[in-house]
Amino acid sequence: MLTHKSTFLLLLPLTAIVAVFFLYPLGLIVFNSVNDGEWTLRGYEALFNSRLIAIVLQNTFEIAIGATLISLALGYPIAMHLARQTPKRRALYMIMVMLPFWTSILVKSFALAIILGENGLINDFLGLFFGPDFFIPMMFNRVGVFVGMVNYLLPFMILPILTSLMSQDPALRKAAEIMGAGPTRIFLTITLPLSLTGVMAGVLMNVVLSLGMYITPALLGGRKDVMMANLIDFYTRKTLDWQLASAIAVSLLVISVILAAFLQRSRGRGAAL
Amino acid sequence: MSDTVKGKFSGTTGTVSRRSVLMAGAGIGVTLATPAIWRGARADSGLTVTCWGGKYRDGIDTIFAKPFTEETGIPVTLIDNADLAKMKAQIDSGNVEWDVFDSVGPQIMSGSKQGLWEKVDESIVDRSDLAAPGGDDNVGTYLFGGGIAWDTNRFPDGKHPVDFKGLWDVDAFPGSRGLRPRVSENLEMALIADGVAPHDLYPLDVERAFAKMDEIKPAVKTWIEATPQTVTLVANGEIDFSYSYISRIRPAQLDGSTLNISMMQTLNSLEYLAVAKGTKNREAAMRYIAFCLRPDRQAAFAEKLYFTPNSMAGLEAASPEAREYMPDMTNPNNAILDDAWWADNYTDLQNRFTEWLLL
Repeated sequence: MLTHKSTFLLLLPLTAIVAVFFLYPLGLIVFNSVNDGEWTLRGYEALFNSRLIAIVLQNTFEIAIGATLISLALGYPIAMHLARQTPKRRALYMIMVMLPFWTSILVKSFALAIILGENGLINDFLGLFFGPDFFIPMMFNRVGVFVGMVNYLLPFMILPILTSLMSQDPALRKAAEIMGAGPTRIFLTITLPLSLTGVMAGVLMNVVLSLGMYITPALLGGRKDVMMANLIDFYTRKTLDWQLASAIAVSLLVISVILAAFLQRSRGRGAAL
Repeated sequence: MSDTVKGKFSGTTGTVSRRSVLMAGAGIGVTLATPAIWRGARADSGLTVTCWGGKYRDGIDTIFAKPFTEETGIPVTLIDNADLAKMKAQIDSGNVEWDVFDSVGPQIMSGSKQGLWEKVDESIVDRSDLAAPGGDDNVGTYLFGGGIAWDTNRFPDGKHPVDFKGLWDVDAFPGSRGLRPRVSENLEMALIADGVAPHDLYPLDVERAFAKMDEIKPAVKTWIEATPQTVTLVANGEIDFSYSYISRIRPAQLDGSTLNISMMQTLNSLEYLAVAKGTKNREAAMRYIAFCLRPDRQAAFAEKLYFTPNSMAGLEAASPEAREYMPDMTNPNNAILDDAWWADNYTDLQNRFTEWLLL
């Protein structure tokens, strides 16, 4: 058994790395957001008074939450299916899940343009049945944004859910079956509640990742699909207004932390069920 | 282990050895503690110049960097896709790694406002031959032209717009438009489409430009974020007419694409070189800039990458075939973007433009 002291010593290297490469730069960003040679709240004033930032913030949340929910709806059944496979098959399927994860997000966005476009694969196919002028707009709008983002987010949803499904004791389900419960009831009273830890972890990761995303919305979205990260990029690299960029970054971080804390709490309640 | 060492270097040598070890240790400590020593060593290793990667890098390397090294003995290291934020961080921390920064107007002007660049040494850099000389702390090196691109397969002559007035005329030229999500270029196009003469653009009549932008907004299918998409979206038929660049369309044509770009009306932007403030290689950097402005270098580089030389003698020196794709600045239909005007207005107007896009 590890003593308190040796745990501390073992954690020291990681703590040092986090302090130097994460906390210190993070501190600098917070400092930047309130100081550009002198103490000022100009960055935050601009932030709260800007209609642009208000609209973009709302956009960012709509897109992040929407993408997460779609990813959950698609990811959960996939994770369940994966959990039921033999280890050999599961390994094969896992590769299929991980493939989009290993592909550059930029390459995927360009490839999706070929699939989703007005003259893309899907619309060409639909044109065979409904005439050449028929097409469903799937690019340069929210649909394109969601398809692109969910494609990227899915592995981050599937993996934690799969882990929690696999750690469930199969005897529980068997016992329920013997007692006469049907598959729906087993799922609702045993499988689902026990997998909530994984669901919450997946949701949390998805929300946090999508809050910071911007290449996919920029390439596949319409003119209204501007994300917070686009603005941070604009102020950091194009206008060098690091104070406003820092203020936006700090606000986004605070919002993410609040969201994470909220999810953490509901996870605790979920586990207690 | 230490016993063996002791045995080998016994007596007086032992003391010397121990001291030298201590000295070496101290030396390492000092080296790690003071980046100044690193910088000192780096100054001898030559000049570091930023560029945009890919074919651009190849062009810079063969036409500017290598011949410059041959002539002066100063080696040049090229850095791909350098960004202004990193440049600023280097200068703010007093640890300048990039000596010469190669970029577009908005970036160079933002840098200039923040005092990131050295003043140009006029005794080394001769700008008398340049069409657009640049400012006190930056030098215009070449121009890149943008205009209306279309696919000749789908739109034969007469069916596509050739100037900005035509681009705005949705009834005469039906089809989806693709513009860039940035305020510069768009406001200029709008004003020209509204009847302002290209050489009378500045200072821009912003209200009039936004009012004109309202007219084209419904016809714009997408606001193209990534430059390569200004070509690919037209090529795969997603967009009918895009605002693209000669330097993108011309290579595609040579690769067999049926795309074309109108040379009847173009907007031309300058690319600049600037020298990082506090560099240890100020003089070499100025000499490099002067070298890039030589007419033969200007012509060779512009021909290779489908730009327009900023040096007038350089333009004369280019081959007639290449000059067909170099917009003629004496043509009253062509405009040059005024980066100095944008320097004072870019941030506010880009914010307004982004907001305009969202509503």
